[in-house]
Amino acid sequence: MSFGQRHTEDEDASLLKLGPDFQNADCLLISEVKILLETQRNAKIKENKKISDIIQKTLPYTQKFSHFNNQYSAREARKVLSTVELSSFEIAQLGNLGCSEPAEAKSLIPSLIGKIDDESLDHVLKQLQSINKFQS
Amino acid sequence: MLHKIVLHPRSLGPQMRQYVTEKLYQEVEGTCTGQYGYIVTVLALVDIGPGTIIPGIGSAEFTVKYSAIVFKPFKGEVVDGVVNGVNKLGFFVDVGPLEVYVSQHLIPADMVFDPNGNPPNYRSDDQKIEKGTLIRLKIVGTRVDSSDIFTIGTIKEDYLGVIE
Repeated sequence: MSFGQRHTEDEDASLLKLGPDFQNADCLLISEVKILLETQRNAKIKENKKISDIIQKTLPYTQKFSHFNNQYSAREARKVLSTVELSSFEIAQLGNLGCSEPAEAKSLIPSLIGKIDDESLDHVLKQLQSINKFQS
Repeated sequence: MLHKIVLHPRSLGPQMRQYVTEKLYQEVEGTCTGQYGYIVTVLALVDIGPGTIIPGIGSAEFTVKYSAIVFKPFKGEVVDGVVNGVNKLGFFVDVGPLEVYVSQHLIPADMVFDPNGNPPNYRSDDQKIEKGTLIRLKIVGTRVDSSDIFTIGTIKEDYLGVIE
């Protein structure tokens, strides 16, 4: 157990410390995971392969919590998010949590504080909301 | 990500690549490790390294480089989930494959446990947490095992709690 604890101690998402394996990893939006998993599941059903427990649990989760329900809106959201200079983790969090105001976003994702001003953050959040609102 | 695959000598041959792929999916997909978290699904094989024969057995070992979708919870991360069970000590939230425990100490003080409710719930004047409620929580700690991750969360901060 001691190993496990030491392993997690130096990781803290609020300070953007994700550990050596994840520091440069790409983070996905829940909506993107949903699209990828649905494709994989359909391919597996076609080939008669077993679908693992984790996929069975993750897929309904992504379906429930994805803010962008189709490929086009997910792509549009990604485009909006790429206009701000933030880390991959922060971008994914912004897209996944669907905050309504800058104060909320900064409270939930503390690493944003000092990195981006309220005005541009507000602009991005508004754009994400309108994508969410007008998707088919 | 890297994974070591051991192939029996009978699989060595023209169809080796297929065997390696199959074995990678079998061994990696759906597992949980402390290092990577939950490996939800393998996306692509990037590279199969040169194989080495293990002395004395005749099996070959390949180091395979692959990309995958993984889910690893981090301390300080905010996630959404579905309440799965409530008792007087706290409640459990399902976040995809992960189960997060929220202790009663990390629930706002104005929410009290109602054991007689059906189903049992935590309630305040305007909010109610019972099985099936959607909830937003912040992960305060993780403990990794060789094959599982245990996580505790809090809803005792601004903007956390029941999602309308």
